[in-house]
Amino acid sequence: MNHSEFLLQLDSVIEAAPGTLKGSEKLAGIAAWDSLAVLGFIAMVDEKFRLQLSGKDIVACESIADLAGLLGDRIKA
Amino acid sequence: MQHPFSLAGARILVTGASSGLGRATAIMASRMGASVVLSGRDQARLEETREQLDGAGHHAAAYDLRDTAGIPDWLQRLASLTGTFHGLAHAAGIQIVRPLRMLDECVLNEIMAVNVNTALALTKGFRQKGVGAGGGSIVLFSSVMGLTGQPGQAAYSASKGALISMCRSLALELARENIRINCVAPGLVETGMAARLKDSLSPAQYEAVAALHPLGLGRPENIAAPVVFLLSAAAAWITGTTLVIDGGYTAH
Repeated sequence: MNHSEFLLQLDSVIEAAPGTLKGSEKLAGIAAWDSLAVLGFIAMVDEKFRLQLSGKDIVACESIADLAGLLGDRIKA
Repeated sequence: MQHPFSLAGARILVTGASSGLGRATAIMASRMGASVVLSGRDQARLEETREQLDGAGHHAAAYDLRDTAGIPDWLQRLASLTGTFHGLAHAAGIQIVRPLRMLDECVLNEIMAVNVNTALALTKGFRQKGVGAGGGSIVLFSSVMGLTGQPGQAAYSASKGALISMCRSLALELARENIRINCVAPGLVETGMAARLKDSLSPAQYEAVAALHPLGLGRPENIAAPVVFLLSAAAAWITGTTLVIDGGYTAH
């Protein structure tokens, strides 16, 4: 998955129109980033990457870049 | 007179016996005198459980319950190998946390297949001639999630609630065959499955769930002992009901 596709997945997780997220946002500034979005993000990563993230990892993230960082080189530039 | 809580002379099939509540139930049943037949997907892990059982005459029989259609025939083959069954504790199941926005039919079908369809197939198989010893007791592992809700648990709750409701109808059908069937509805117990749930929630969310158990989180033996009770003659007049074992979770 490349970075653009990752952002589209995140749009879907927060139920925003495709193309809403640009990648530079802070999570605190995204109103739809709530506890259900966290569950949704974990589910998306499980389904698309077969990777089990923990809620603890995600709570430590402050930005979209941090979320992408959890996936390391699974996200291509 | 045999102690009413004893399982001496009984042969009990335990599914999900390779870990968690199934393993604890198998161990507790063996301590109460039962011969236990262990079912799970991984033969090596079943053997680990078998090593922890008291007494002799136990079997480990790996089977993937996802092959639902094959369950009645498998039970026939198993019973001809081990002898007929007096009880079944169906602990196998899966929990997948999905908020509604991420819940698709594929996930829903998987949860229902593993948690509900297998319970029906096992019950159907248990009552076959040559499988059940004539009468007996079946215990299905539901959950407090079958009685209450949590965000992200709609599919899991649906599957566990289905066990509770179908158990009532099955009890009425099976009473004429002297087969009792009941559910247990555990709260959050410290098992591998709970550890996976913990991973899928934020620390604050998990602590909030834990705090809702006034007696603290459960241990596997807290569930195993009441399951053994339902399997035993002490529960001879109990069928079609659900025993909530949750440290007070649903008392709120």
